[in-house]
Amino acid sequence: MKKIRYLFLLTWLSAFGLAQAQNQRVTGRVVSQNDKQGLPGTSVVVKGTTVGTSTDAEGNYSIEAGTGAVLQFSMIGMKPQEVPVGNQSTVNVELADDAQALEEVVVVGYGTQRKRDLTGAVAQLKGEEIIKYPVQTPTQALQSKMAGVQIIASGRPNEQPQIRVRGVGSALAGVSPLYVVDGVLTDDIRNISNNDILSIEVLKDASAAIYGVRAANGVVIVTTRRGKSGATQVQYDANFSLRQPANLVKMASREQYVSYLADAAPNQNISNPPLTSDQTTNWYDFALRNAPQSNHNLSISGGSERNTFFFSAGYFTDFGVVNTNDFRRLTIRANNEVKINDKLTFSNQLSFSRGNEQAVNLDGTYQSLYRAAPIVPAKVGDKYGNLSAFGNVGNPILTLDARNQQIINNRLQGNLALNYKPVEWLTLRSAFNTDLVFNRDRTYLRAFQNDVNTFVTAGGNQRQQNSQLSLTDGKSFRYIIDNTATVDKTFGENDFTFLLGAVTEKFTSDFISGARINIPNDINQWYLGLGDPNQQLSNNSSGDLQTRQSFVTRATYGLKNKYLFNASLRADGSSKFRERWGYFPTAGIGWVISDESFMKTQSLFNFLKFRSSWGILGNDNIGSNAYILTAAVNIPYFYNNGLTLGSAIQDIKDQQLKWERTQQVDVGLDFALLDNRLTGEIDYYNKTTRDALAFRVIPAIFGDPDNQFLTNIASFRNRGFEFVLNWKESMKAGFGYSIGANLTLNNNQIVGLNGGQALLAGGVGQQGFVTRSDNGQPVGSFFVLNATGVYQNQAEIDASPVFGNRADRRPGDLRYQDVNGDNVINADDRIYAGSYQPKLYYGINLGLNFKGFDLAADIYGNAGNKIYNGKKAFRFENTDNIESAYADARWTTSRPSQTDPRLITAATPASTYFVESGSFVRLNNLTLGYTIPTALREKVKLRAARIYITSQNLFTIKQFSGFSPELPGGALDSGIELNSYPTTRTFAVGLNVGF
Amino acid sequence: MNYTRQLIRFSLFVALSGAGLTGCADFLDTPPQGQIGEAAVRSDPAAAQSLVTGVYNSLWEENMHGLSYVGLTNIASDDADKGSSPADGANSFGTFDNLNPTPSVGNINDLWSAYFRSIARANQALTLIPLSAADQATRNQLESEVRFLRAYFYFNLVRFFGGVPLIGTVPPVDEINNTALQTRASREAVYALITSDLRFAANNLPIKAQTQTGKVSKAAAMGMLAKVYLYQKNWQQAYNLTDSISRNLVGTYDLLPNYANIWREVGANSSESIFEVQTGINLSCDAAINLYSVSQGPRAGGKRGWSDLGFGLGTPSESLLKEYEPNDLRRNATIIFINPAPLGTVLWDGFRVPSRDSVENDRYNYKSYHSRTAERNCGNNDRLPKNLRILRLGEVLLIHTEAALALGRNADALTDINRLRTRAGLPAQTTIDREKIWHERRVELGMEHDRFFDLVRQEDVQPGRAVQAFAAHGKTFVKGKNEVFPIPQNQIQLSGGALTQNPGY
Repeated sequence: MKKIRYLFLLTWLSAFGLAQAQNQRVTGRVVSQNDKQGLPGTSVVVKGTTVGTSTDAEGNYSIEAGTGAVLQFSMIGMKPQEVPVGNQSTVNVELADDAQALEEVVVVGYGTQRKRDLTGAVAQLKGEEIIKYPVQTPTQALQSKMAGVQIIASGRPNEQPQIRVRGVGSALAGVSPLYVVDGVLTDDIRNISNNDILSIEVLKDASAAIYGVRAANGVVIVTTRRGKSGATQVQYDANFSLRQPANLVKMASREQYVSYLADAAPNQNISNPPLTSDQTTNWYDFALRNAPQSNHNLSISGGSERNTFFFSAGYFTDFGVVNTNDFRRLTIRANNEVKINDKLTFSNQLSFSRGNEQAVNLDGTYQSLYRAAPIVPAKVGDKYGNLSAFGNVGNPILTLDARNQQIINNRLQGNLALNYKPVEWLTLRSAFNTDLVFNRDRTYLRAFQNDVNTFVTAGGNQRQQNSQLSLTDGKSFRYIIDNTATVDKTFGENDFTFLLGAVTEKFTSDFISGARINIPNDINQWYLGLGDPNQQLSNNSSGDLQTRQSFVTRATYGLKNKYLFNASLRADGSSKFRERWGYFPTAGIGWVISDESFMKTQSLFNFLKFRSSWGILGNDNIGSNAYILTAAVNIPYFYNNGLTLGSAIQDIKDQQLKWERTQQVDVGLDFALLDNRLTGEIDYYNKTTRDALAFRVIPAIFGDPDNQFLTNIASFRNRGFEFVLNWKESMKAGFGYSIGANLTLNNNQIVGLNGGQALLAGGVGQQGFVTRSDNGQPVGSFFVLNATGVYQNQAEIDASPVFGNRADRRPGDLRYQDVNGDNVINADDRIYAGSYQPKLYYGINLGLNFKGFDLAADIYGNAGNKIYNGKKAFRFENTDNIESAYADARWTTSRPSQTDPRLITAATPASTYFVESGSFVRLNNLTLGYTIPTALREKVKLRAARIYITSQNLFTIKQFSGFSPELPGGALDSGIELNSYPTTRTFAVGLNVGF
Repeated sequence: MNYTRQLIRFSLFVALSGAGLTGCADFLDTPPQGQIGEAAVRSDPAAAQSLVTGVYNSLWEENMHGLSYVGLTNIASDDADKGSSPADGANSFGTFDNLNPTPSVGNINDLWSAYFRSIARANQALTLIPLSAADQATRNQLESEVRFLRAYFYFNLVRFFGGVPLIGTVPPVDEINNTALQTRASREAVYALITSDLRFAANNLPIKAQTQTGKVSKAAAMGMLAKVYLYQKNWQQAYNLTDSISRNLVGTYDLLPNYANIWREVGANSSESIFEVQTGINLSCDAAINLYSVSQGPRAGGKRGWSDLGFGLGTPSESLLKEYEPNDLRRNATIIFINPAPLGTVLWDGFRVPSRDSVENDRYNYKSYHSRTAERNCGNNDRLPKNLRILRLGEVLLIHTEAALALGRNADALTDINRLRTRAGLPAQTTIDREKIWHERRVELGMEHDRFFDLVRQEDVQPGRAVQAFAAHGKTFVKGKNEVFPIPQNQIQLSGGALTQNPGY
């Protein structure tokens, strides 16, 4: 009605007023409809004239306009508005966001697309989000932010967190996504400073097929920042944090342990000073620490019309919570763009990083900390407690102290590119992308003997006879040449883009290693030449070489901005396989329902889009030349008592071995409702991997060394739903809040091994393998005996089938289900007891801002996954320590337990007793920030200034009794806590300053 | 028009970027890095010799001559009991000892696989030798060595299992589902291949003095062939072949004066040796048969308290003990006797094994004992460099004597027997019969992995023989079943049933 009235008014004014139109001054303020804040820089034009102005910093404007004039208000990202002046002298306007985030541009591989036009499932996180977290890798910042993207991080310094996009799609080939950093295809992004990142996109569905044979596990595209024309900006970001071990497991006290030993090792002499002490030794206290972390980043960016620049330098230090485990990283980046002429642009994105890590050998140390007897002192003066003389593990504190491993990683990565735009609708781009990695790993083992020079008492078997130095120098070189042509043209209501390109890639790597003994004990003299030349322990060298040649093409077509079509095809030729060429097509359609005329009458949806995609993706994360028969060489024999080296050709290889092939279908809805305050996405996906690698057993008469060969026969399936909902509202008086939530439901199954072998993995000491991946089960399912309780008396034992020797069974032992009913409990009675893969995972992101304050909380959780408590199950000696909780719960004659056995020994088989729920909810991050008000900033000439305090992992709610429910691992053996890095809680303060 | 020019540039660009790079078609051909491919080995002029050495190397395989071998030879025979602690290997070695193994016992599959793996290596070498650039004589010698080894592998297989699949060439990968390959050949067909391989070897190999120590010699091929003929009751051939060896017509051989030295390092490659597995010391300390010596070494038990010498498997039986005549020097050279407390047992090298209360078993195999102090080794107990004596003059004489007796040449038979008895410190026999020869054979070759096969052979010559011997040993030998071991169950499954099970299993 209002509009009609304006129309009448306008008609009337034009009819009668034009002749007598006279100018008057109109003033007003333009604000955002969302937060009522002034919109500086809004263009205000008198319609039909060239008279115009723009709003000032507060959104105010002033313009001369006739009484019949119509003012046009426009600003990028906002819906334009027209307002007739009439006889008003003040016209205030509220501009609404233009479909909000849906107008954003998304990187999709060899190009960008408006998010609105996407037909695939692409998740995006902006750089400004990533830098909020005091973490080393941007990957960690993704956790809780994206549906369908699971991040598993242990918190170990310089660890690359694992990403699983839409489930685990392989068993024997890789399961990690492909990373593309400014065009460089890689599998490791630990060299990128979070502050340099503009955005991260994850291609989750078949649209990743633009990366062909490497796309089946999803593609993570990292784009780094560039300068903008205009004033030079200097930005300094820093944070300082303290990390502390979180969720430590309480081990038995001296009393609890002694009481346990009375049953487990009755002959053990528990009072034998100085070997034993009368105090409780908390071994973790001696190995763990509260450790500082810091991050400094300085960037300078800017540019003119003809060139832009972005330079940054970062220094990151992360001292792990395990003693001596320090990591430092220096990053330097220069991203420049130069317009050579109107048509030709040269650009570069170059980065250098240097990582310096003092590594610890967790396999030995961390497990020993758990098993170490609490009645043996860790250290007395400068002498170590002699755990091994007590019949226990080696002293882990000594193991840490006597080992010095330094890993240095230098990496140069980036691209040089030429863009040529001969005409408006055509872009030719040629880029040289490269990645050079130089690694050095030097490990020094200090010599010590099992005598009183080292230990409180002599004896035991912990010693390092000779000092030993091992060096490994590795380097790799990858180059990728991209040549693409992109046509982008609009004919009336038809939007058309077409991409054609060729990609050439070569990767070489090699290492050389050497080791010597009897090196002088000096940290600064780490040269092999100082070792004993007569007892050279080893030298070795090997390498790898891969090449790929690919062609890509993509066409997108949009009709009336409503009907969207997208299709691409990549042809990949890979040196890894005999059958070199694979073709990876994808097609997608989108329908912007909200633009249909029948939707014009409703006001609920501001935006509604249906999309669907289909495609074939490959996984060539398989060793080079796995199809080529190689000879076993240097096989010794003796003639005339002299050593002769022979060879043998004996492996059976599948000459037709090739990439795994994943077909993915995705159906999704994107929507925005309630004035764009509520936005969301719903996706259903179904990924079927065929030609997956599995071992096929062959008859021994063929002579293969392990009687099996790797071939493409298995198939897997991941299917699930993703839900994303974001609510964002700005209210008056500078108050705003946002709530985001995402949920992923995934179902993983081995559809068929088709004659391949079920895969056993996840070795836990004497219990052997605890996972089995077989038909109809999720990959990496726990396969163990079903513990049904504890024998309370001898009569119960006599009346039931038992595990092992009947004579060895005692009341208090675990009882197991005789699954196959053969009256014997053995390996045939194992059952599937769940897997490490969550049935669902979710993130909740809350944001609140009021005046200058901002408060944000991220919650992350998963459910339905299982954890095998391997550290509890792994018993080697009867003197191994136990957990305090188990000490209190275990069966004794005076305190019979229905659930916990009297002892856990090396003879205790793998069972559901050790399988625990892996579900958890964590307050991933809580941040409170304060942005210094403009007035104050201007006084001190700062463009931006914010200070904040933040905490990572403030608390975790979990059922699992161990250290961490987040356990990285391989496709077949994740979710086993054996010697994992202790999770940490981080408290940090930080500031962002710009001028 | 401008557009046309742009289009030309555009097409040029695409053409250059695409075709230009794929122009070099071999960009995607990357040879394996850090590994040597099959082709590289094949193109190597020394490849033939190298692959032959690879075949010799398979003599060190654990499942050819190590743990499983000890189980299916000594433990299965009446020479030895399972040994070790009662529970150790009860479901595997225990079933060999009791002659009731099931087709699913892992050691049987391991042994089957190891022999066929070695045959595959031999077949690979045989495929390549004819292509070698070496001269005809060298090629013949290499081929002969490999065919000897292949014959030896099949000879053991046919004695363990009866007829087995005959793989005479390298089967291509796509033959994996070819059931014809997996069908068992008849025992006769296997023996025919063995005989032809050994005949070729005997005809083409140089005598011991003209080849390197450790390589197969003419006498080795002839001796092995004689043994094969013995199993086929071809007395004349067995006699002729062994006669040539014992008369030093194909190399000089003599009995080692001290019987105890035969199996010690000082007796390695001695005058008595005809074929033995070579071992030695290398940097990685693995140049020996895996788990041969250590599996049979004395094991700590009872009070323990000492660093023991092995797993204690395959302990000399009461039955073997009773076989020795009084004063037979071979008794104490074959068996380590563990003395009761407080006496220990001092071995020939001075090592003192504690008394019985700290040791698991009463007796151990002395022949497999390798001294850690007086004989060379590099500290790897699992691979002590003990040469396995596969064929020695002592056995050749026993074949000769048995064949001579069968041919009615009793004087010849007596001569050979008495050469062995004299060395053993026993009075000479004045008359000869089969019983005496078989008795002599048992004590002369005691614990040398021959007894089980030989009892089955004797059963064939004199029905009831094996049944009797095993009855005396406290075990039941079922005729028509226990002559061979079961075919591994999972091999039968993998063959889709083409491989058939032995009767009784």
